[in-house]
Amino acid sequence: MKVITDTILKVRRSIMAPSTDWDEIKRLAADFQKAQLSSTSQRLSERNCIEIVTKLIELKLLDVIFTTDGKEYLTSQQLVKEIRDELYVHGGRINTVDLAKELNVDLNQINTSVSEIIKGKEVQLVSGYLIASYYLEKIAREINEKLQLQGQITVGELTLQYDLPADLLQHSVLEKYLGKIIIGKQDASEPRTFYTEEYITRTKAKIKGALTGLLKPTPVTVIVNHCNMAERLFMMLFDQLCAPGVLTGRQAGALYVPSCYTKSQNDWVVNFFKQNNYLEYDAISRLGISDPKGYVKRTLTNKDLTFLSTCVIGSQIKQHLETALEECISSKSYLDVVSLLPSVLSSTDIENILESLLKNNTKSTILFDNTVFSNNYIEQLKQNCLPMVQKKAENIVKSGQYQQFHLERQISRSAEMTQHSHVDHKAERREERRRKAASGKGGGGTQGRETKTKAVKKHQRSKQIANDSDSDESSNVIKKTQAELEIVSVDDVENKIRVTLENEGLDDLVTQVAEFLQKSLNQTALEIAKVTAEKLLQDASQNRKQTHTTAQDKINILVNDIKLFEKGLKLLPPDQQSNFIKYLLKSLGGDVLAEFCKYAANQCNLSLQVDTLTVEQRNKIIHDLSDEYKKPLSALNAVLSEQNIESFYVAVDASLAVCGMILKKVDKKKDKLLIQNHREKLISELENCDDPALSLHIAVLAIFTIVTQNMLHASGRLVPAITLYLKSHVKEEQFQQLQTCQELVTKYLTAADEQKTELEEKLRNTLPILKEMVQEIKKQK
Amino acid sequence: MVDESTRKTLSSIPLLQTKAGPRDKELWVNRLKEEYQALIKYVQNNKAADNDWFRLESDKTGTKWFGKCWYVHNLLKYEFDLEFDIPITYPTTAPELALPGLDGKTAKMYRGGKICLTDHFKPLWARNVPKFGIAHAMALGLGPWLAVEIPDLIEKGAITYQEKTEEAK
Repeated sequence: MKVITDTILKVRRSIMAPSTDWDEIKRLAADFQKAQLSSTSQRLSERNCIEIVTKLIELKLLDVIFTTDGKEYLTSQQLVKEIRDELYVHGGRINTVDLAKELNVDLNQINTSVSEIIKGKEVQLVSGYLIASYYLEKIAREINEKLQLQGQITVGELTLQYDLPADLLQHSVLEKYLGKIIIGKQDASEPRTFYTEEYITRTKAKIKGALTGLLKPTPVTVIVNHCNMAERLFMMLFDQLCAPGVLTGRQAGALYVPSCYTKSQNDWVVNFFKQNNYLEYDAISRLGISDPKGYVKRTLTNKDLTFLSTCVIGSQIKQHLETALEECISSKSYLDVVSLLPSVLSSTDIENILESLLKNNTKSTILFDNTVFSNNYIEQLKQNCLPMVQKKAENIVKSGQYQQFHLERQISRSAEMTQHSHVDHKAERREERRRKAASGKGGGGTQGRETKTKAVKKHQRSKQIANDSDSDESSNVIKKTQAELEIVSVDDVENKIRVTLENEGLDDLVTQVAEFLQKSLNQTALEIAKVTAEKLLQDASQNRKQTHTTAQDKINILVNDIKLFEKGLKLLPPDQQSNFIKYLLKSLGGDVLAEFCKYAANQCNLSLQVDTLTVEQRNKIIHDLSDEYKKPLSALNAVLSEQNIESFYVAVDASLAVCGMILKKVDKKKDKLLIQNHREKLISELENCDDPALSLHIAVLAIFTIVTQNMLHASGRLVPAITLYLKSHVKEEQFQQLQTCQELVTKYLTAADEQKTELEEKLRNTLPILKEMVQEIKKQK
Repeated sequence: MVDESTRKTLSSIPLLQTKAGPRDKELWVNRLKEEYQALIKYVQNNKAADNDWFRLESDKTGTKWFGKCWYVHNLLKYEFDLEFDIPITYPTTAPELALPGLDGKTAKMYRGGKICLTDHFKPLWARNVPKFGIAHAMALGLGPWLAVEIPDLIEKGAITYQEKTEEAK
């Protein structure tokens, strides 16, 4: 080093001359050297330091804590102090984790220090937070402010706000400072809630206002929501208030019922009842009353009430009904119950009322739907129908339907009888046997296997009953005819009574009433029919007797006449007799046959509408007759067309035998009288006759009778033959007159229309002559 | 680029102002002054940072510089001779630092022991003419070169620890 400085000095000297700058350079160089040679400051690197400290700690010569980044060391006392400082800086509350971060110290170290810190009473560790007492005081103050502001505060709310356990808040803050810092009241029933006195009063006022304002039942929840308060508080305060109403319960779903509402309910019910004398359950429940029946019972005590399915009615209505009913009975009219009862009553209710009402009056009334008819009224209606019924019954008997029905029923019944007689018989025998076996058991007849056979019988009977009942209630005509003949139909009755009922405005009941009436009317009709039928039957048997004799008489007369006519006819020339016989059989013989037919038809219950029978009708009847009559009568019919009078007599005899008749012996005297009568009849007929042809006919017959003292039965066509016969018995001029007259008649009958009047004129002129001539001939005899 | 610590060291070396080579009589003096000031500062910095790593001195004209530099590896100090001339075109051309003791031992070296500087040294120097001086060249050139090459050379066995250097110190 010395050497160097020497050289520097040398250099400095040698360069001194040119300029001072070089000196400076030298100086600088020297400085540079100095700088280079100056001892280097002996520094320990960080690494070394750390190593050394670690070593010391290892050797337990040093008790320090190092920060997490390892750059700083601190003693535990320092840490405690720093923690306290941090706590203060953070206002008395800090998270240990935050502390570790903030102080850059391992959390474990912090925790150990913290445990030391909390040994004192000032600070406590709550769920990772270090909390100083002054922090709690601060919170208490804040809470108080909030409480004064809100009026009410809950621990729950605070827990959220301060993120502190409820217990801590409850005990260490609220309860501790209550009355000191926090001015308020703890809810007795819910210690987690605190109020200010003011708030309580305010809430009370609110509730009172709300309750006073309410007019109808309101759920408590609604009130609570509206007033914005806890339901529990409401419940608590409700007791302290003298609320104008009641709560239905203490539970959540309770209802507040204002007393004014209850009162108005009551009023309405009482008034309505007073006014209308009935109460509808629906209306009551619409008012919000859940148990209408019970409510009515409670409200309207000491009233005579009748509870029905949908409503309650008072005694007044009943009385009203009763009087109306009495009046209806006494006035023999009807009573529409519906018009007297409140419209709300259901049909079953009406029925119930009527049932109780009519209990006493069942005999004098009949109920249709909801209309009570007095029996008298119904009777009146029935009377109206009776003529119709009478007519119908008679008609049905006359038409023979009734008899036919009975006949059918008899047939079917007899068929049934024969069908079941066998079974019955068997069953009976069995039963007998069983009875013997189980003697003393008496009525136990329906036990055991034998029941089966018996059941058949029973079943049949029950079936019949069922049929009967069926026919009673249904209008099924087919079924009805099986059991009973329906003479009067429901329609008939309906038509009859419709007008009457419609005038009363009861058209809707027509069918019902008609059905009711129809039953009895039909019965009546059946009775009438029965009576009529019996009477008819009696008449018929009487008639039959009569007809027997009359027919016999008639036939006797006719046969007698025929015999007389035959006698007369035998006077005529034989070649002309056959014509006369033919006519005689055709006319009088036909009459005889007709009489037989009539009688036989009567016997066979064939109906005859007419008195005189045509040939066709006769044939038909003969065809319809039963065999015993059919044979002789058809024989007689056959004989008529023959011209043999003897065979006619034979046939007549046969027929008479069948009919149980006899021919009376011919009385000669009587015959004479008969002939005389016949003559007189002819003459008088002639007197009254205007028709020329007929006059001639009668005149000829009369003259024949007078002349021969015999009767003759002839047709107009046979007149010329008779005239010819008379030629020998009358005077010439008389015969001439007859001849001309006859010619004129023949001409007249065959003439054309224009000549007729002329010929008629001529004939009319001959009439008096004819009559005179007959008188003349009579006198001559 | 230069690493962070180098940059830091570099920034603490005062920058030069005079642009003058050895030929510019008056101005060279000024320049030399500034060079010395910078070197002093740099050495002071190094010492303060317990990072002293070279000794340097020049002839009286300040154109020839020589000295020693060392590198501590595995708690052993390896010392090398250092010499260089100020080129005529200085400061436009950077001085060529040479470690004659290591000549032929490494590829990163020109003939005569001149070290091969990193690619970015030259442009960096060129950009900073005339602000950079010898101190900068040391910090930017030789320092990093030693840090890279010496451990490598020791590993290869090209250089071995010599007790002598310990004595010299």
